Amino acid sequence: MLQLNDITLKLDENLILDRISLNIQPGSIWGIIGPPASGKSVLVKTICGFFKPQKGNILFNGTDICKIPETKLLEIRKQIGMLFQNNALFDFMNVWENVAFPLRRSNPDIDPELLREKAWKRLKKVGLAGSEDKLCSELSGGMQKRVGIARATINKAPLNIYDEPTAGLDPVTTSKIYDLLLEIKRQNSSTVLAISSDVEGLRNFVDNIIVLHEGKIRYSGPEKGLETSTDPVVHQFVRGEEEGPL
Amino acid sequence: MISSFFASIGEKFLVLSNILGGITYLFYQITVALIPPKFDLDEFWRNLYKMGVKSVPIIILTAFFTGGIMVIQASVFVKKFGATSLVGWGAGYSVFREVGPILLGLMFSGRVGSNNTAELATMVVTEQIDGLKALAIDPFRYLIVPRVLAMIIMLFLLTIIGTVVAIFGAALFGKFIAGVSYAGFWTSFSQNLHLADLIHGLIKAAIFGFIVSLNSCYFGISVKGGAVGVGKAVNNSVVASALGIVIFDYILTYNIT
Repeated sequence: MLQLNDITLKLDENLILDRISLNIQPGSIWGIIGPPASGKSVLVKTICGFFKPQKGNILFNGTDICKIPETKLLEIRKQIGMLFQNNALFDFMNVWENVAFPLRRSNPDIDPELLREKAWKRLKKVGLAGSEDKLCSELSGGMQKRVGIARATINKAPLNIYDEPTAGLDPVTTSKIYDLLLEIKRQNSSTVLAISSDVEGLRNFVDNIIVLHEGKIRYSGPEKGLETSTDPVVHQFVRGEEEGPL
Repeated sequence: MISSFFASIGEKFLVLSNILGGITYLFYQITVALIPPKFDLDEFWRNLYKMGVKSVPIIILTAFFTGGIMVIQASVFVKKFGATSLVGWGAGYSVFREVGPILLGLMFSGRVGSNNTAELATMVVTEQIDGLKALAIDPFRYLIVPRVLAMIIMLFLLTIIGTVVAIFGAALFGKFIAGVSYAGFWTSFSQNLHLADLIHGLIKAAIFGFIVSLNSCYFGISVKGGAVGVGKAVNNSVVASALGIVIFDYILTYNIT
């Protein structure tokens, strides 16, 4: 479904991604972990086409998204549901409008009643029924995250990317969010790519994991193999040890 | 010493070139988005209301007192020389051609342009623009083009309203301060002014609207940093719009006249 071949990205002369190669199969769940500023968010934004890598290519269902114009890229993005690190909710819209917006844009002729029903169902799914008319600024961090998830998944895109879906949330809400993401994934049969600083929580959620450090992949493979990695960076990061290269 | 002086000039020149290049490129992108005209109509109507209709009270207030101030300034000489027959013409001529478009343009830049820059800049730093792109929405067609069109149209219409109100204000103040009758004011106004005077001002208004819209959108979307960046962007936008209005006013006045 998604193949990254030798991706190298420099921003303002700083090397952010260094020869990243990945092959993500349809229906799989991948997690990306790594120390701060290791290039995790930039990597998923590059997959969405926000950054053009200087080297390498990204194949999304066979289309090289590094070589297509912005108009074609918009078509590719219709197949990606993205939750941003800080949610990126539209502050000029209320909760309902935020969630209904992607559906209304992708189906301009949609029956208003059907739109209302679908958006309401999605809000109910994330436990926000009754908050439709609130502005996003009136919601707590966890509720905003859930609005972001509802918006990212309402179009049932084949690829869902979640950038820090549980950042700043308490353990109970974190657990609920991961359950919700799994339920949505099963219902939509989608492929999932999730970034998180919560290593333990993410490991319970994903099948495969990538460890990034200074723009390089230090580990890529099954989640279970993480413990046996001999890379000192991976070893230290996963165990949270103070001594080591990090 | 000398080298640092030239380095400083060179740096400023590069910054200015970067801004002018960015604004020119934005203009190109807007033009491309308008051929054929494909932009978000809901957003266009929303901006017409927010930028135009909501500006009407402040524009009326500004224009009314602007008309009045002009008559107050002139009243000393009007009384001294008994030139009451020139009050209507003087007020109308300056309001139509200069004071109306310039003052309303600056007021529009302060109220609407700065707000537009702040909104767009905040959307950039909070990743809302990326959020739109991620939803397969072209931010230019969705956000920029409707705002640019709304600003040009609304400053044009607000200038018509403002001009009428300013003339009304001038007539009212003329009656009570300079002792010029309404009939005398109207006669002076209608006999000496032509449609060309009004058109002159309206051309300026449309161009000022374009300047404010381009500047406010450019500084909004090119913001860097967080809250400090947003503040700088708003500041730069207002300064650039004011400068643009004054410079283009000179160019237009010189050429159209």
